[in-house]
Amino acid sequence: MRGTTLITGADGYLGRRLTAALLADGDDDLILAVRAKDNAELTAKQDRLARQLGQDAVGRTRVTAADLSLDDALLDIDTRAITRIVHAAAVTRFNVERDIAQRVNVDGTVRLRAFAARCDNLQRLAMLSTLYAAGRRRGDIHEERFDDAGFVNHYEWSKWAAEDHVLDAVGDLPVSVLRLPTLIADDDSGQVTQYNAFHNTLKLFYYGLLSLLPGDGTTPLSLATATFTTSAVTRLLDPAIAGGIYHICPDPADTATLDQLIDIAFTVFERDAGFRRRGLIRPLPCDQESFEDLLDAADLLRGGPIHQSLSSVSPFAHQLYLPKTFRNDALRAAWPGYAAPDPIALAETTCIRLIESKWGRRTQETP
Amino acid sequence: MTDVFVDSFVYSLGERKIHVNETAAAGRLISSAQDLESAGFRWHHVCEPGTTAYDLAKAVTGELADSDRLGDVDAIVYATCLPLNGNAGDPREWERTRDVKYLMDFPASRLQADFGLHNAVVIGLNQQACTAMLGSVRLAQAMLQVERDWNRVLCVTADRFPEGAKYEQAYNLISDGAAACVVSRQPAAFRLVTVHQITNGGLGQAGDDETVGSYFAYTHRLVRETLERAGLTAADLDWVVTQNTNDKAWQILARLLGVGFEKVFFSSMPDVGHVISADNMVNLAELLATGQVCPGQRIALIMAGFGLNWQCVILEATEAVATAAARD
Ligand SMILES: NC(=O)c1ccc[n+]([C@@H]2O[C@H](COP(=O)([O-])OP(=O)(O)OC[C@H]3O[C@@H](n4cnc5c(N)ncnc54)[C@H](OP(=O)(O)O)[C@@H]3O)[C@@H](O)[C@H]2O)c1
Repeated sequence: MRGTTLITGADGYLGRRLTAALLADGDDDLILAVRAKDNAELTAKQDRLARQLGQDAVGRTRVTAADLSLDDALLDIDTRAITRIVHAAAVTRFNVERDIAQRVNVDGTVRLRAFAARCDNLQRLAMLSTLYAAGRRRGDIHEERFDDAGFVNHYEWSKWAAEDHVLDAVGDLPVSVLRLPTLIADDDSGQVTQYNAFHNTLKLFYYGLLSLLPGDGTTPLSLATATFTTSAVTRLLDPAIAGGIYHICPDPADTATLDQLIDIAFTVFERDAGFRRRGLIRPLPCDQESFEDLLDAADLLRGGPIHQSLSSVSPFAHQLYLPKTFRNDALRAAWPGYAAPDPIALAETTCIRLIESKWGRRTQETP
Repeated sequence: MTDVFVDSFVYSLGERKIHVNETAAAGRLISSAQDLESAGFRWHHVCEPGTTAYDLAKAVTGELADSDRLGDVDAIVYATCLPLNGNAGDPREWERTRDVKYLMDFPASRLQADFGLHNAVVIGLNQQACTAMLGSVRLAQAMLQVERDWNRVLCVTADRFPEGAKYEQAYNLISDGAAACVVSRQPAAFRLVTVHQITNGGLGQAGDDETVGSYFAYTHRLVRETLERAGLTAADLDWVVTQNTNDKAWQILARLLGVGFEKVFFSSMPDVGHVISADNMVNLAELLATGQVCPGQRIALIMAGFGLNWQCVILEATEAVATAAARD
């Protein structure tokens, strides 16, 4: 039977890809919830989504404004029609302030859960979370509910807290928590549309603005593409697949370490004549105390690019000192034969594209 | 290889001692006074309008002469960070006459004549920026190895920023200043163990942030290679005398190099800021004055500068160090 899927954050990086995938592969009607402060912003977002989604969207999608930080969010949606909810909305900056993270990521999820509880025909409430909801844990990280192990930034804390609220409803609601890895490229071509701490760190190295490498070189970094993640999420939305907690990430054996990733990044950089001419040497591994000192010192370099770029990198860098291995047994069981991108090949193509596009300066990307 | 020795470290600073707040208020900084203070800078020294870089060079050479430490010099290596300080002529004369000789009024030649150092040949060194003083020690050592009848080389560095310049470079508060030392064959306070330099011309026009960005990896490499050259390890260093830069920088580097931070010495920083290529000499003179340097101790002098250049000198204190400390 044809259902209706509500997607929050539908115009976000993953939201619009999930929307496109559900239009292509399913027959549900889609309600696309977007944050819009007024009608003008809503119209602009509607137009942009219409352009991005093309003909497939006509007649099957409805865009609605829903600021999840407000109590009246989602009030105009008919709860009876909703069969699935994908919660992709969040403030996703690693340097998000605590109060904003609370209002949007935590309270917004609580509001969505209350909304879900009113949807009598709901078959799946899927929350997109992050592997780093694990916080300061080290070692093997299983697909299970986390307790509070402390966090290195407000973003990961808020995703953990949001998970906690959603998981409280297990038994009452068909809940899935899908923990995502760091997305470094749109697809295997290495094209980058959304920039994060991974790209910003490499940018600092490439432009010679950083010569210290924070982290323990043996730390595995779980990386993937938006395409892989979208396929996994759509697969796990299938009502035939059990709800629960899933780590959408490559197998531990197929996860590269920080050292391996730096090695491949510099191998790519060193092929570039401009980089070679600048004679930049590979970064020096540094302990956490030294990295903290560097951040303190960089705080005084206001206005300069180091200060700006480091502030986007530093909230995540602490994780590089907390090696963890994300187990994905549940994912593998639910998706036999799945194939995550090879991390070294992906990092290599991504670095090539980053240099070509000068970290996005040379591309006209669709936001 | 003949042993070469170094001592007689003297320096001179611009006459006006100014607080960083005052310089900020005068619009002569790029960073805020608060940021520079947080980095460890407080005061700096600026020349009066009529004082030239050559006046500073004369002051340090005069100090050596007055204390009988100049002696019979075979060569003068005269280093400047800013190439324009390698000309003591009046640029207005060049403008007026279009005669390039006014662009070649070499301060090293003036120094030779002013101090009657008639046997000395002169060598100008002006493309090593803040590392030039250490570079001149290296050059002096090399020449003493080759020129069998030479005994003493005077190394002088002198810079003052041009009128109207911002007194900040790569987030460092700058002082006008000069320094000198004597490199000789005769045993003196320090034996020169080794000198090492790295140049990365690819970063010759690096912006401030690139200069800061490359600082750690290159300085680490510099020290590692210098130690290797001397057959030493970081544990063999008793002191590390640095340039005056953000005080966090050496907390980080000391940890990365495995050198205790208590061995890192840059005591002059709050009082004098970054005295262009004289920092190591100012700090070494202050270290000597503390009386803490004992015979047999090894001291690394480390400097990074435009070009980009990095240089490191390792000295070993001799029995003469106590006398030098009392005298200097
Ligand atoms: N991309 C990754 O690497 C990654 C990794 C791990 C987990 N995740 C998770 O995956 C989900 C989607 O991430 P993404 O990469 O697509 O992020 P994104 O591009 O930043 O999208 C987030 C979406 O949430 C919306 N939003 C923000 N504040 C809102 C509010 N108050 N009310 C309603 N909507 C709001 C944003 O709208 P505006 O932009 O208009 O504010 C945007 O459409 C997030 O939950 C994120 O935590 C992503």
